[in-house]
Amino acid sequence: MTPSTGARITRWARRMVQASCLALFVWLFLAAAFKLSGLSDAALGSFFYSDPLIALGTWASSRAVGGLLLFACATIVATLALGRVFCGWICPLGTIHAAASVWRRAKPMVLARTESWSKRQRVKYYLLAAFMGMALFGGHWFGLFDPLSLLYRTLTASLGPGVQHAIKAGTTAVFQADPHVGPVRLAAVTEPIYRFSRDRVFGEGQQSYEGGFFILALFAAIVLLNLFRKRFWCRYICPLGALLGLLAKRPLLQRICAKDRCTNCALCRLDCQGGAIPDRATQWMPSECFMCMNCGAACDAQAIRFAFASPFKPQPGPKLDLGKRAMLTAGAAGVAGMIGMRLPPLARGDLFHPALIRPPGALAEPAFLARCIQCGLCMKVCPTNGLQPTLFEAGLEGLWTPRLAPKIGECEYECNRCGQACPTHAIEPLPLEKKKEVRIGLAAFDVSRCLPYAYGRECLVCEEHCPTPKKAIYFIEVDVPLRGGGTRRLKQPRVDTDLCIGCGACERKCVFVDVAAIRVTSANETRHPKNQPMLAGSQELLPPWNSPQDASGGASLSDPYANPY
Amino acid sequence: MPHHSRRDFLKYTATASAAAALGGGVPAFAQDAEPSMVIARWSGAPVPEEEVAAMAIKLTTEAIAALGGMARFVKKGDAVWVKPNIGWDKKPEFAANTNPDVVGTLVKLCYDAGAKKVKVGDLTCNSPKATYANSGIEAAARAAGAEVVLVDKDRFREVTLGGKRLEKWAVYPDIVESDLVINVPVVKHHVISKITACMKNYMGVIGGNRSAWHQDIPNCLCDITAYMKPKLSVLDAIRILTANGPTGGNLQDVKRTDTVAAGTDIVALDAFGAELLGHKSADLEFLVEADRRGLGKMEYRLLSPKELSVA
Repeated sequence: MTPSTGARITRWARRMVQASCLALFVWLFLAAAFKLSGLSDAALGSFFYSDPLIALGTWASSRAVGGLLLFACATIVATLALGRVFCGWICPLGTIHAAASVWRRAKPMVLARTESWSKRQRVKYYLLAAFMGMALFGGHWFGLFDPLSLLYRTLTASLGPGVQHAIKAGTTAVFQADPHVGPVRLAAVTEPIYRFSRDRVFGEGQQSYEGGFFILALFAAIVLLNLFRKRFWCRYICPLGALLGLLAKRPLLQRICAKDRCTNCALCRLDCQGGAIPDRATQWMPSECFMCMNCGAACDAQAIRFAFASPFKPQPGPKLDLGKRAMLTAGAAGVAGMIGMRLPPLARGDLFHPALIRPPGALAEPAFLARCIQCGLCMKVCPTNGLQPTLFEAGLEGLWTPRLAPKIGECEYECNRCGQACPTHAIEPLPLEKKKEVRIGLAAFDVSRCLPYAYGRECLVCEEHCPTPKKAIYFIEVDVPLRGGGTRRLKQPRVDTDLCIGCGACERKCVFVDVAAIRVTSANETRHPKNQPMLAGSQELLPPWNSPQDASGGASLSDPYANPY
Repeated sequence: MPHHSRRDFLKYTATASAAAALGGGVPAFAQDAEPSMVIARWSGAPVPEEEVAAMAIKLTTEAIAALGGMARFVKKGDAVWVKPNIGWDKKPEFAANTNPDVVGTLVKLCYDAGAKKVKVGDLTCNSPKATYANSGIEAAARAAGAEVVLVDKDRFREVTLGGKRLEKWAVYPDIVESDLVINVPVVKHHVISKITACMKNYMGVIGGNRSAWHQDIPNCLCDITAYMKPKLSVLDAIRILTANGPTGGNLQDVKRTDTVAAGTDIVALDAFGAELLGHKSADLEFLVEADRRGLGKMEYRLLSPKELSVA
């Protein structure tokens, strides 16, 4: 006998769907660089909106959930009915793991043992419990482990820039050397490749991200784990897989194994992606099954089929048996970890890291951390590459959340893309005119480097690039003494604290490209009243939502979670 | 409107070329008809904002026609680079970038004169895609048939400028290798150079650490101008930015002067622009230096510019 044709067709259909979803995910990632092409922000973030872990976690940590995240209900309903089809058919990271699982090679007798259900697969449920424990206290660490967030962040910070760099470095070398092969300029061949990459795929300028290597290393590590077990990440770690597993304990769509046909030959287990088949092939763990349907295609006896059946009939096989005590312990461990991460002085709430310049519209820090899922979408859409993943500026709790690094790229005055794109509203989607009034920091001169102060030279590039309609940088003419006697009249720049929004255009364009002579720190940021050393100079400069006449929505000193916009 | 002036211009071109062919060399009347500078001022009824485009087209067309027509500068088959100021992500009404219709008209005139290819591009200060789009120049230049080129920071090549301050600097090869570069800036306020117009617009041709030029604007601008050997510059003074330049962003700093000037003397055009912003050319160090080096005349009236009233 041979496996049924129907099961094999289903397997191919599943592979096509997986490939399409992965392609769509990557395409949406690339399209984010070309917002001008008119794709809506909801479309750019569509995968995130379908993710129930993001919806549930955001709700747990911030007691609020963005409207579009309600689309995750569709995934929940699908999982209740069809089991973990999201893992088996849709999830782009799952598809990468499924593809990498071909590396898992061993003797069939070994595979029959290792690829069957293992109690260690319960680890992911305990991780989920720990993350949810954290979330209930405002920590949002599952963003680091959410598969969609993890993959998007990896694409943004390492894989995308890596491919871009390979194309760019190669073609630039050819362009600069400009070699000829006979009558043909080699650049005539390579330049169209470069221009396609620049104009249609990656955009202008090399994207580069601080600590991108670590983000890549995490990704590489979880892909390599497929050497030990098929879809190791999905089976043992993935918190979204765990959440969907809990929802898939009694699905309508079920694997039915005909006992009279099954020879317990273990061929189904060899091909099982999820470790969902215990030692006896007639048994099945629906919470672990990705509905990949490999088992049906592998079964020579044609004993396995998938059909709708009553969810109330108990499944043959062992229970998941997570245990209330173990789950509560995991949750408590999460809370303990959360408290541990909030012990450093910067988490106290009255000290502020100077380099933690959050994008305009970012909520006050605790509320921001409760929402940011570290997906990297804001960094991807930032046109200047200035939004960078943090390492420790925001503490361990805020690992890989966005911060502006002005020397890498300024916050463009006419741009509010990050807030529009943010899938969880950790960055408020402020209208452009309102965004322009948000202060994200304050510029300060380093007069030991600034040319007209320290070196007796004309400069004022910072003033030239200052984008506020009335420039926040002005100058004072000073007669600077020169070495050989005599003086030179120079324009020395100053910062107007009422007008400076901390965008960092000055720092970016400063003639010094090692350490700029004008630098922005987080001081004066709108979102933190406690980080505002400057008394505002004139009332009319106060943004309306912060003025005494209109206190509605204004941030108050007492409530660090209040929306400052 | 444009039809009328274009017919005139074609007629003129035909006559001039016929005369040149018959007479061999440049006939005397052509020299009279080919001034080195033209100032075209709007003298009709005040033009509302929504009709500035039509005025810009007319002023540009007439200014170039009075200068001797585009055929004076563009030979058949030439590759032309029209170099506007596309520095800032701002809409046209803020006068931070060159008027898009002035640019579009120049593109069209180049093609009419037989140019094979007209490219438009500038090294932007804000992100290029948004800046090209919001300046309106991308659309206007494309509509006129130009290839809009992204001036890529990674495609500059170092060349020998042989200047007084700058021995070598990175320039954009595609621009400097064109048969003709038409420099078409907008007139704006600038704290260090006092004004930014034609000469400062060449900063969009150079790469590297451009900020360093601020230490010696007069010599740097003269060095790049000498290297570029300007043949035709067109000054957009339809809207000028009088303060908070070169970025702008406040409509109160924008002044309508409804003027387009064109000419072969880049220094004279900048001197004229300086006057529009209320400066004497002798107060502008870079103009004094340019005049001293013989790059042009900062007393632009010595060139007896042809003044046109356009309505």
